[in-house]
Amino acid sequence: MSQFSQNPYYDKAGGGGGGFMDGSPLGGSNGTPGSSTRRGGSASVRPVTIKQVLSATQTHSEADWVIDDAEIGSVTVIGQVISIQKQATNIVYSLDDGTGRLEARHWVDPSAMEEDEEDPITEDSYIRVMGTIKSFGNKRYINTSQQRLVKDHHELYFHLLDAMATKLILERGPPHAPRQQPGSSPIKAEGASAYSAQSTAVTNDQFSHLPQMQQAIIRFILSHPQTDDGVNVGAIARAVGGSANEISAALDSLLDGGHIYTTLDESHYAVSQ
Amino acid sequence: MAEIVSPRVNSARLADHVGQHVRLTCKVLRLTGSAAIVEASDGGQVEVRVPIKSPIKDVYIEVVGQVVEPGVVKLLNCINLGDTLGKSYDNSNSYCDLKIVDMNIVDFVVEKWHSPQFSSMF
Repeated sequence: MSQFSQNPYYDKAGGGGGGFMDGSPLGGSNGTPGSSTRRGGSASVRPVTIKQVLSATQTHSEADWVIDDAEIGSVTVIGQVISIQKQATNIVYSLDDGTGRLEARHWVDPSAMEEDEEDPITEDSYIRVMGTIKSFGNKRYINTSQQRLVKDHHELYFHLLDAMATKLILERGPPHAPRQQPGSSPIKAEGASAYSAQSTAVTNDQFSHLPQMQQAIIRFILSHPQTDDGVNVGAIARAVGGSANEISAALDSLLDGGHIYTTLDESHYAVSQ
Repeated sequence: MAEIVSPRVNSARLADHVGQHVRLTCKVLRLTGSAAIVEASDGGQVEVRVPIKSPIKDVYIEVVGQVVEPGVVKLLNCINLGDTLGKSYDNSNSYCDLKIVDMNIVDFVVEKWHSPQFSSMF
C-alpha cells in the first residue's frame, strides 16, 4: 500500500471516500502475490464515473461486471441528484455527474421507522453512493448499500481524480517507490498481466518496492523450476553477487517479510506464492 | 443512444461546446438583473444569462447551462456551493468548514476531463 501513503488526497479528513480504497481496486496487491485473487471480489470498491458504469460489460448475466478490463466488486459514484422517487420499498435517485445519467436504487425495509436524517438528500445536491451494478432488461442501475450528502464540494473533485488514478493504476500497475533504480524493475505495460491468476512469470509489481539485492534474489529463485526443495543459497550467492553479509541480510529481510521461506534446511529457499 | 452529458469546462473550453450543455464551476463576481459575471477555474470571465428569478445564492456556484457563444452561457440550473461569508482560515476548525472552492483543483480536473487519456471515463 506504499503508493497510497504518499497520496495527499487520502490524508484529507473531509473526503470520506478515501477510506474505501484500502485493499480495494487492486484486489490482492497488498502483498499476496500470485494467488488467484485477481478477481474484483465483493470487498473491492472502485471509484468510477457514470459513463464507466454505463459502458461496463458482463460476459453473462451472473458474471462480474468489467470496467477497463478489471473486474468490479462494487462501485462508488458521485453525482448531482436530478430527481428522487420515494416508494414503499425503495428510493430511487436519478444521478447526473456530467458523464451520463444513472439511477441509484436504495432498498428500504418498509417496517423500519424512517428517522429524520441529519443531512437530508435534496434535489440538486451532490451525493456519493456506493453499491453494485445491476441490469434489468436494457436498463442499468446501481443497487446502493449507502448514500450520503457530499458536504465539502472538493470531494467531487477528489472522486474524479480518484477514479482517474485508479484507472491508471489498473492499466500500468502501482507507481514506483521513489528510491527504485529505473533499470531494475520495468513495470509491465499491461496491468492485466500483473494480476492474471495463471501468471507464473515474474510479476514485477509485487516486488518492485524491494531493494535491488532482494529483488535480484527473488527473481533468481523464481527463474528456477519451482520445486519443493527450493534453491540452494550458494547458487543464489553465485548468481546475485555481493558479499556474504549482504546476501545474508537480504535473505533475512525477505524471510521477515514473508516473501521467501526455507525448505529442506536453512540453505534452501523458495518464494512464497 | 445519446447520453445526457454536460462536460466540465472553464472559460477557454466554452468555445468547443457552443450550443451544448456544460458544467461550469465558477465564482460570482457581479450580479445584474439579467446576468452574472463569473470567473471560471482558469481565471477567465464568463457571462451567465439568468432568468428573472435567479437561483444564484452563493459566491461559488456550479452552473449547468447551454453555451450561447464563447464567453456566454445560458443558465439552466445552478448548484450553490456555499458562501464565503463566515469562516476564514483562522477561525475555521477544519478545512471542511471553509466554503471556498479551490479553483486550482477544479481547473486541473477540467483539463484532465478533456484529455484523450481519459476519454473512456468522460
